[in-house]
This record gives sequence, C-alpha cells and structure tokens, in this order.
Amino acid sequence: MSLPRLSFEWLHACCGCEVSLLDAGDDFLTLVSQVEIVHCPLLLDNKYQRDETGTLQLPQADIGLVSGGVASEEELELVQAMRASCTTLIALGTCATHGGIPAMRNQWTTQETLQTVYAYGSDEASLFPTKISTPLDRVYAVDEHVQVDWLLPGCPPTSAAIVGMLTGLLDGNPGKALTKSVCETCPTRRGAKGQGGVGRFLDNATGDPQKPLTEMVCLLEQGILCMGPVTSGGCGGKDAPLCLRARVPCRGCYGPVRAGSNPLLDMLGALASNGIDHRSMIDRKSLLRFSGAHGMLKPLRKRR
Amino acid sequence: MNTTPKIIAFCCNWCSYAAADLAGISRLQYPGSVRIIRVMCSGMVHPEMVLHALDKGAEGVMIIGCHLGECHYINGNEMALARAEVIADTLEDMGYESERFQITWVSSAEPERLAEAFRAFCGRLAILRGELADISDSQDSRF
Repeated sequence: MSLPRLSFEWLHACCGCEVSLLDAGDDFLTLVSQVEIVHCPLLLDNKYQRDETGTLQLPQADIGLVSGGVASEEELELVQAMRASCTTLIALGTCATHGGIPAMRNQWTTQETLQTVYAYGSDEASLFPTKISTPLDRVYAVDEHVQVDWLLPGCPPTSAAIVGMLTGLLDGNPGKALTKSVCETCPTRRGAKGQGGVGRFLDNATGDPQKPLTEMVCLLEQGILCMGPVTSGGCGGKDAPLCLRARVPCRGCYGPVRAGSNPLLDMLGALASNGIDHRSMIDRKSLLRFSGAHGMLKPLRKRR
Repeated sequence: MNTTPKIIAFCCNWCSYAAADLAGISRLQYPGSVRIIRVMCSGMVHPEMVLHALDKGAEGVMIIGCHLGECHYINGNEMALARAEVIADTLEDMGYESERFQITWVSSAEPERLAEAFRAFCGRLAILRGELADISDSQDSRF
C-alpha cells in the first residue's frame, strides 16, 4: 500500500510554519515514516515543471499545506497549481489564513509600498528591481483565491498543532476548529472592569511570575492591551494560551473569533463600551497586524 | 448614477423609529434613498454592522437613538455614543471618510428633527461625492 502523499508550498511567508513543523522532533520523524513528502521547497530540491500548455505542474498529493498569503502573480499561479494537485488543501499559518504580517501592506497601495521599500527614482541608479513577479493589488489570504479545506492559523502554529492536525487527517479525524475566544481559554483572574486607558503590548504585567497563571489578574484589567477578547482561541491546545503562558498579552495571531469579523473594530468597540478611552491606544491600526487580508485593511480613498 | 446617496439608518424602536413613523403620518419630506432599519436600541448597533453596510455599498450610515438620558434601556445610547467615536475614528483606518457615519438623537415627538437630520446627512454625502460645492469651504476661503 502506498503511503499518503504530502505536498508543501510556501508563498508570501517567512518559512516559520515549516520550521515549526521541523521543531516537532521525534513526532516529525514518526510522521515522516507514515507519509511520503512529494514536494517541499524547504526540504526537497524539486524543479518546477510546466506542461505543454505552459501550466505550472506540481506533484499530485493527498494533502497539501500552503503557508503564506498571495501577494504576487507568481504566488497566485503557485496556489492554483497547489489546489489542482492536492485532494485536501490546508492553509497553514496566519499568513495563509488571514494575511498575516505581510498583509499590513494592504493599508497602502502597491505603488506606495514599492516606493517605500525600494529606492525609487528617475535616475539609472534606481534600485527598483525589474525581475520580481508582478505584485497583486493587495495581499490575499489563500482562501480568497482557492477553496481551502482546513485552516490552521498561528504565527507560527505550534509543532503539536501541525502534527496533531496532520495525524488527525491521516486517521480521518481532523478535529474541529475552536470557535471560542482566547479569553475563554485563559485562566487568569477576572473581576473588576479595566481602568481608564490601555498600555502597549510591551508594558510589563504585574504579578509574581513564580505563581501559577490562575493568580495573575487579567492583563486587560491591568491596563495592558490584550487582543484575547477578539481573537480565536486554541493556540495553547488544551492548556493556557501561548502568550499568556509567557505573561505577555495576546497579539491576535489566530485571527478573528468569527470569520469575517474585524478585530480592530471589535476591540475598540469593546473597550469603548466599557468606558476605556480608545484614543489612549498608540497605533491602533496595528491591531490588524495579523488579519489584514479579506479586505480588512484598505488604503484610504482619496478625498474629492 | 443615482441622484441621492443611499443611506442606511439604524433607528431605535422607542424614539427615532417612532419619530420616523410620525414623520410618515405627518407627510414630512425626506430623501427616499434613506433605508431605515429598526433596532431595539441604538446601543445594539455593533460597529461591524456599520462597516458591513458601507462595504455592501451604502454611501452613509446613521445611528439614531433617544436623547441622552432618555434611553429606554437607561444607558444604551451612551454606549452607542462611546462606540460612535470608535466608528468615526476607525472608518478612516478602513478606507472610508469619517463623514459617512453620523449619530443623532431624536425623540419620538420630533419628526421634523429626524427629517432634517436625513436631509442634512444627504447633503453632506453629496458634498463628499463632489456634486455640491462645500459651502463651509467656500466661506472659509473668503477670510
């Protein structure tokens, strides 16, 4: 009997998701013995082939994992080839599911981004590259272009989450996505409502780090901006959310709780209706740092 | 192109929707492009509903509730007001002009005030379209 075939592809991403999978150690070796990896730019030297019509061909696979958003013509072609070659397609990591960090460029036009990133000028010494693939008008999540069967957000998803999902899929029992917020999985102590303002993510939490998390007061109540209320939970598996374990606030990497809801608006709305001054927040647009795709971040239209 | 901008107006059941009712009975004139959606309280209008309306093609969104201090649910409209600042601020972040949103208070006995609010908002959106000259701007330029 042939082994299930796995195919990996990366788009507009940093490779952190693949590295997270490699971090699984023994579990990864067990997984590798159960599958055949047919395509993975990180691990295998696989040449990209085109058929006679010029369509990009990738090896056929049972499960495909795509990390990264879709930001250029080349990546669009890759993701379509992945969809065509894989029976089940998984969007791996927040860039693939919600746009992630690269989608922060959606708050500017492509032209503005290029002019910011590259030395741009009329002289010949301009550093603007001519050989990069044509950028799309914005950074898209994978599911905006092709149908995706499973979403696994996280920046990156933990090794356990990726291995768990893959072994689950191989056993025919991939499990259900959590539809709870981070707060619902967070063990910190909650009581009073928050104070007047919100501090930055970088502010230190109060509380004895030697004591368990259940004795720490909710970070939002401490006046530290925590994205827990508007972020999909599940990052810590059955345990406390990952960032909270490190006594730092949730940054929202799992994307919005409900598909299509806007974390920035939700968070500010929640703060405002609890009497917290949302204008005390520095750089509020960065609340969409992980969820800029799906049209969440847009450049401001020019006023007439 | 439509001549009047499409407006979604969330009216609370207890004051502004009653005022809209009365405006109808009193045959007050206001732009027909206003689409009223009755909600139980202005405080239940989630900011995302406003953004959704704009994303779906509305040119402007209004939230109209009871006067402050007269909310049927004691402080629903105060919550709406707190959120309104958030909406106005974040609409700019989302790529919409903040003028596309307005919050107004109208009691059930003030249909004229409601009709006037609709007309004024329509005018504001027309200015945004560039159809009407911005009177305040031209006045400023004289000084």
